[in-house]
Formats: sequence, C-alpha cells, structure tokens
Amino acid sequence: MTTTATAPSPYRVTPRHVLRSEWHKLRSLRSTWITLLSAAALVLGVGLIMGTTYTPGGGDADIDTVVLVLYGTVLGQLCVSVLGILVTAGEYSTGMIRASLTVVPRRLPVLWAKAAVFAATAFLTMYATALVTFLAAQLFLHDTEQAAALTDPGILGALAGNAAGITLLSLIALGLGATLRSVPGAVGAYFGGILILPEVLGMLPYDAVDSALKYFPTQAAGALGSATPIPGAAGTVPALLALCLWAAASLGAAAVLLRRRDA
Amino acid sequence: MIRAYELTKRYGGATVVHGLDFTVRPGTVTGFLGPNGAGKSTTMRMLLGLDAPTSGRSTIGGRAYATHPAPLTEVGALLEARSVHPGRTAFHHLMALAHTHGIPRSRVEHVLDLAGLTAAAHKRVKGFSLGMGQRLGIAAALLGDPATLILDEPVNGLDPEGVLWIRTLLTSLAAEGRTVLVSSHLMSEMALTADHLVIIGRGRLLADTTVAELIRTAGGASVKVVTPQADTLRTLLAGPGVRITTGPAGELTVHGTDAAHIGRTAAAHAVPLAELTPQTVSLEQAFMDLTQESVEYRTTAPLTGAPA
Repeated sequence: MTTTATAPSPYRVTPRHVLRSEWHKLRSLRSTWITLLSAAALVLGVGLIMGTTYTPGGGDADIDTVVLVLYGTVLGQLCVSVLGILVTAGEYSTGMIRASLTVVPRRLPVLWAKAAVFAATAFLTMYATALVTFLAAQLFLHDTEQAAALTDPGILGALAGNAAGITLLSLIALGLGATLRSVPGAVGAYFGGILILPEVLGMLPYDAVDSALKYFPTQAAGALGSATPIPGAAGTVPALLALCLWAAASLGAAAVLLRRRDA
Repeated sequence: MIRAYELTKRYGGATVVHGLDFTVRPGTVTGFLGPNGAGKSTTMRMLLGLDAPTSGRSTIGGRAYATHPAPLTEVGALLEARSVHPGRTAFHHLMALAHTHGIPRSRVEHVLDLAGLTAAAHKRVKGFSLGMGQRLGIAAALLGDPATLILDEPVNGLDPEGVLWIRTLLTSLAAEGRTVLVSSHLMSEMALTADHLVIIGRGRLLADTTVAELIRTAGGASVKVVTPQADTLRTLLAGPGVRITTGPAGELTVHGTDAAHIGRTAAAHAVPLAELTPQTVSLEQAFMDLTQESVEYRTTAPLTGAPA
C-alpha cells in the first residue's frame, strides 16, 4: 500500500473529461469525416436535383416543401447511422473497448459520452446541411408553388426536425452497435429491424398495425421533417416523443449489457 | 500491492481460473507465469475489472480497481490483445485516453518519448509493427505515472533491443517502489527480470515463491558422479537426506550433499572418480517440472476417478 506517489494526483475521471475523450476519439478518425461528408453531400446533391428538375404544377405540387428539398435524407441518414454503429461496435471490432473500459472502469460514462458527443455532432452537421440544402434548392424554386423562405411558418422547425430525426435514428443504431458489439451484425439488425421490418408490417391488412407503425422510428422521423402535417402521420410532439423512446430503449439495453457483460 | 482472494472464473462448464489467492508486493518485479492457456490473461482481466469473477475478488492499492477515482494513476495496464483503433495515430490514441483523466498533452508527449515512439507519433497505428504496437501499449500504461503496472506478455514481438528496454524499464519501475506484475509463458525471460514468481497451471496456483526458492524446491542442486565403483560409492554416501539415482550409463546423480563432500569421501576410500560435476536445475526445468505435474495430474485424473 505504500507507494512512491505521495502528492495527491490532480487527475480524475469526471463526466466532462470523458466527454472530451470521446470527442477526441470521434474527431481523430477518418471514418467520422467520411461518413458525415457523404451524408451532407447526398442530402445536398439530391436537394439540388429536386430543385433544378422541379416541374411547376407537376405531380409533386402538393408535397411539403421541406420534405421535397430534403428527399436525400433517406440516403444521408444511412451514412449517419453507420457512423453511429462505428462509434460503438467499431471499438469492439478493434479491441479499443478494452482500453476505453480500463481507463473508465465504471463503464456507463463511456456510453453516455459517446451518445452525447455523437448526437451533438450529427445534429449540428445535419441541421447545417438541411439549411444549406433548403436555401440552395430554393434558388431554383422561387417562382413555383414550392417557393418558401426560412422565415415562413414551420420551415426552420421542420429543418431542425429533419436533423433531429436523423440524429435519433442514428442513436438507435449506436445503441444497437453497443448491444451487438459487431459492425456487420449491427448494420444488419438496423437495416432489417429498423428500416425494412416496418415496411413489411405495413403490408399487413390490419388497421391497428398501421396506427402503431406511425410511431415506428423511420415513420416518426419522417413526420418530424415536414413543415405541414402529413396526412395519416403522427403529430410532431408524439413523433418526437416516440423517437426519443426508441433511442432511449436502444441505449438502455446497451447500458444494461455494458454493465453486465465481460468486456 | 495487488491482492487476489479466491479468484474464480468459469465459462459455461469450464473453470479457467480456480480459487487463485496471491499477493503482489511493491518494490519488486513479480513474474506471472504459466503455460499458454493457464489463465494468466483472464486473471489480469479480472484484476482490471474487464471480466467479472464468478467468485472471489481482488484489490489493487487496497480497493477494487473499478472504485478508483483516477484508475490510470493507480494502475497502468498492457493487455495481451491489441486494444487500439488502427485508424487513429499513436498520439491521438494516447490523447483520447489521457483526456478521460485530464492528463495534459505534455505527459502524452513524454510517454511517447519514453517508449521511443516520438518519430511515429503521428502515424496511424494500422502501419505499426508488433513491436511498435507493444511500445504504444507500454506508453499507454505509463500515462498516469501509476503505482502499479500490470503487463500481459510485454516482450511479445519485441526485437532484442526492445526486450532489453522492457527489462531495464521494469527493473527501474520496481526500484522506484512500484508494484510490477508481468506475465509470460517463458521462464527464461522471467528469470532475467523477476524476483518473485506467481506460477499457475490450468487456472490453479502452483507456486507463489521467489526465483531462488523455486530452484530449491524443484529438486535443487545435484551432483553427477561417474565412477567404476558405483555400488561402493553409493554405500559410502548413503545417509539421511541423501538421495542417489543411477542413470542409464551407470552415472550417479546425487541429491542432498555437495561435490566437495563426495570428492572427500571418494578420496578417503580410494574410489576413483571419472567425473564429478555439480548440476543446477535451470529455472526453465523447474518451471517445466512444476507445470508438467499439473498437466499430468489433470490428464490422469479421469482414469483414476469414478466415472461421471
């Protein structure tokens, strides 16, 4: 018990320190920037295509403006979700998790810090992307029925809702990555369980299924990114609440397993 | 100071670590030895809280590892399996670990220098050789200037210069009063660095001893004697504590007495000696004997035991 260390150490594991560590981890990997830039480029690219090819009075006339210009969200969201999976499952596939849990043996702060840092980064990136895409697409839409300004009612909220939807969906992916501890496993579960399964269930001829489905992650995220209410979809607040619950469930399962399992 | 109390780890039906009880004291290098698969890595992972023991517990510096407010300053660990993201540079890897404790950049640069990695600090770990990976692991272990070091097979993959560096480093860390636990499956390596030995086989403690003590209990020194009058000499040397065996070529191996006594006895009775050679059991041999027994004990047990 008698060691050379006599002066009390100024170093300590604190939530703020763990956040800083996770931010450093996130920004020091190329895959972070590749996935985020791909997401932004896809959303912006599809937005520009929607803007330049828009035919006034065509079949898209009654689509919500924000939904229309952010059509690329479907693709961009995949990139961000993959990053969410890499943040957690990537540590298991490389063995980094052993170093992470050895320096923070209480474990849970690592998961919370990962989720927080990732969510903030994903939200800010996708919100900025949504704003730029909206403004760029509007350059081509100004004299159509899809013309809108940022200051129009519901527009800023829908752009933020779009980014929040992507972020919360990707947090589900992050939780799956921590639960399954394998990048391919989590990607498979995410695509199959979160993206495809609701589509399959939607084909069932039961009304109850349809009313439940609007609270499923992808549908709820879609409802968040519209400036005008989508017929048959959940309202903004219930959709946000549902999506938060899905993300909380995924992270909660990951937390329980992180405490219990050997690393 | 590291203490293990009845540490046990079971995976399904297999008991990997079985009631391990040992103490690792500060100021010396303690070698943690055992054949491959003996449970060394599992034990170290339990000490570090990565694996939960099935039963038993362990403390480092008087408390469970996970309860230390600043674990990096208490224990520095090098785990056998690489624990680094290959896409990160050495510097960023260490900096990310350092941030969790608020350890400054200057300390990160210092340990990179200590490990001889300054030139490679901004290269991605992907391109590192096994030896460079080990150096990075050691740098990470030293990050918090810890009072205890737990190193799993640190010389693995190192070139001779690296091996020498580790030996010198371990000895000087122990000399500073730190607790140093180093695992290896190579007795020859431990003989050069360790003072104390904790030896396990098949998850059980085989010996908790010093290097000198191990040699003594493993049969100690013996003397090889070759003489045309072997039977005469046998009778002359017989006495309490003396054990004599005859080899295939008729040579005698004498335990329990020394070469000088045998030489004097032979001269006094005019027994001609063709050879008189003191023999020391090598640590390697002592280790093999010890672990061999545990292996044999295990393999014969089902034959003698009652059928399940």
